[in-house]
Amino acid sequence: MIGTLAVDLLLVSILIGLAWQVVRGRVLFRAIVFFVAFGLIMAMIWGRLGVPDLALAEAAIGAGLTGALMLGAFRRLVEIDARQAVSGGLRPSPRLSLLLSLLAGLLVAVLGLAGLELRGGSGEAGRAALDSLHLTGLGNPVSAVLLLFRGLDTVFEMLVLLGAFLGARHVAERDRRSGAAIASHRLPMVGALQMTVVPLALVVALHLLRAGANDPGGAFQAGAVLAAGGVLLTLTGRVVPQAQAGLLTRFSLIFGTLMLAGSGIVPLIYGGVLMAPPGKTAIYAIEAAMMVSIGVTLSLLFSASAGLRAVRS
Amino acid sequence: MTAELYVFAAAAVFGIGVHGLLIARHLMRKLLAVNLMLSAVFLLLLLFSTPIGGKPDPIPQALVLTGIVIAVSSTAFALALMVRLFRLSGRATLPRFEPDDD
Repeated sequence: MIGTLAVDLLLVSILIGLAWQVVRGRVLFRAIVFFVAFGLIMAMIWGRLGVPDLALAEAAIGAGLTGALMLGAFRRLVEIDARQAVSGGLRPSPRLSLLLSLLAGLLVAVLGLAGLELRGGSGEAGRAALDSLHLTGLGNPVSAVLLLFRGLDTVFEMLVLLGAFLGARHVAERDRRSGAAIASHRLPMVGALQMTVVPLALVVALHLLRAGANDPGGAFQAGAVLAAGGVLLTLTGRVVPQAQAGLLTRFSLIFGTLMLAGSGIVPLIYGGVLMAPPGKTAIYAIEAAMMVSIGVTLSLLFSASAGLRAVRS
Repeated sequence: MTAELYVFAAAAVFGIGVHGLLIARHLMRKLLAVNLMLSAVFLLLLLFSTPIGGKPDPIPQALVLTGIVIAVSSTAFALALMVRLFRLSGRATLPRFEPDDD
């Protein structure tokens, strides 16, 4: 008992220390690195709280891809102007902001403790989800909630991801197409790294997809791992950003949303109900489509381009 | 006991996030602070759920998972806006509006 409390205390103190470093660290680059570390500690905390699905998502998306996006944007800023003029800018006095943040923290603490007091309700939605889990053929209740019970939410979630991509695409420079790679894949070590990591990312993504039906995992985690492979391919110059997207790229961006929304609508044609649970095979097909869409969207967000084209070695 | 400890952690991280959002000049630093606040909220959302039959409630888990994906989407869009602002104005900070500036 004391041992587990010690682990919790250690995780919490590291988490708070890293958060402080993210905010107060002197150098922006280091703040981003600390943020990635913060995400990994969050993933460990999700694991401690018994929610491995969230641990996987936090490690892959929260720490991994957000960190990659931040570092990518940081590099673009340095390329434009290394001096990074940040003088001026709107901000309150440090004393006022310290007071406000203390009040905000206090408010969250009080709300949090009150929320803990209110626990012990029936949790009816969760109970209903667990009770009808056997109807879906899935073993992982989180996957069942995401794809079936709250499938409409997930359709909109995919649309938000697509909307973010379209928005980022719209504000990005249209004529930028080169300069994404930092080390050529023709260098022996870089090539070896890429040849090891990219297939590994593919295998891990497929495993997460397959496992997601019964064990922790699912389309979002798998898509994020797939995007990690895409990020590495971009950084090593194996694929180059394109100003215009090909038809295949455009289709793969919306493939997952189409499959998920289609699986909800198609039963209507056959006289069924809207969003009736499809069979397990259909769920795998939907999740695979979503994985491809999420992976492609996140890869393109990282390279800030409309499409990617492979380079012949 | 463990839940109270993590509530304390969420409150501390949220407070630090607010502090960072207020005092940071660089927009990317502000974005990092917002992401810290998001993590604190996700943590609270899960802590509030009642375990069912010894297992964590799947609904809050699905909600937090959705939240994580939305967070990365909005962060990516915000970063694109920041890069554009920097390219156009040479600054990665918010402009200071004067009261009589219209």
